[in-house]
Amino acid sequence: MRADAVRGHLDGLLLAVLESGPLHGYAIIAAVQQRSGGTLEMRTGTIYPALNRLERLGLLHGSWQSVGERRRRCYQLTDAGRRTLATERTAWQEFTTAIGSVLNPVASPRPTT
Amino acid sequence: MTAAGREADPIEERIEDRIEDPIEDYVAALAVALHGPARIKARMVAEIRDGLADAAAAHTGDGVPYHRAAGQAVREFGAVGELVPSCQRELTIAQTRHTARAVALTIPFLIACWCLIWIAGHDWRLPDPAQSPAAQLSGVTAVAVLLAAMFAATGALVRRLSTPRRLPLAVAWSGTTTGVAMGVSTLALVTVSALTTNWPLTACVGVLAAVSHAIMAASARACRRCSRLPIM
Repeated sequence: MRADAVRGHLDGLLLAVLESGPLHGYAIIAAVQQRSGGTLEMRTGTIYPALNRLERLGLLHGSWQSVGERRRRCYQLTDAGRRTLATERTAWQEFTTAIGSVLNPVASPRPTT
Repeated sequence: MTAAGREADPIEERIEDRIEDPIEDYVAALAVALHGPARIKARMVAEIRDGLADAAAAHTGDGVPYHRAAGQAVREFGAVGELVPSCQRELTIAQTRHTARAVALTIPFLIACWCLIWIAGHDWRLPDPAQSPAAQLSGVTAVAVLLAAMFAATGALVRRLSTPRRLPLAVAWSGTTTGVAMGVSTLALVTVSALTTNWPLTACVGVLAAVSHAIMAASARACRRCSRLPIM
């Protein structure tokens, strides 16, 4: 999937990979790429300002933690972030259902006249 | 040992790699391009450097030499020019919040300064600069409401709305106006301290007003600069 197509869903992707627990920036990138099987094209640098924005909006909480030998900024979902993720999932399901029903119409009985 | 026969020293190779480290070059270019509150900018740049170092480490773990791994990490990251607008957006909003906070703290002090000037100069009939309690209260309330709106427009309450594009500029000019007012207050307090009998108090407040003017002017200048930069 092209980078500009991914950009519109970046918030949802970041929230989803953080659902299972706190991660630092590069681990988030690795998780997105791993879950997508490497099919999502993205400039990895774009996630850092996105993480900062989600933190400002109160959807993530960021803190410096020691990971291995270095200190890294780790992010975890807030309650508001979990609610937003649930909303994003519902919206995505509705969107894919609507688009899918147009692209792949199921044969329905024609109304009799 | 001749140079031709000398084997590559891993430490020397490492030093050469560090001399022109693509990651350090990238981070330096990013730091030059970004403007905003120093602490937040330093945190953002440090986090990006960590991310690049992690990406390079992942490549070196696959057996790629460091210099090539660092270059690959930088390419995957995206060009500095691609990253700057979205990073700058966060820094501009952070600077807007800083300046709005500085205005919020300075305006009550400004009003207190003018009260003091009026009280100190009362015996030689200084013109009353709208000093009634009602005027002061409504002024402070108006400022509080304005600043609450500014915070709401840049913080967690704006999840479903975008921050108004002109807000940083509006805050920058509010800060500039407050800074000028603090400068005028400083001059007035210095003048009054020369005329009044209770000059030490007036002079002390004048010094505080001068410090407030310097802080406010610097914050407003930074906010004006940020508000002019392109953001995504």
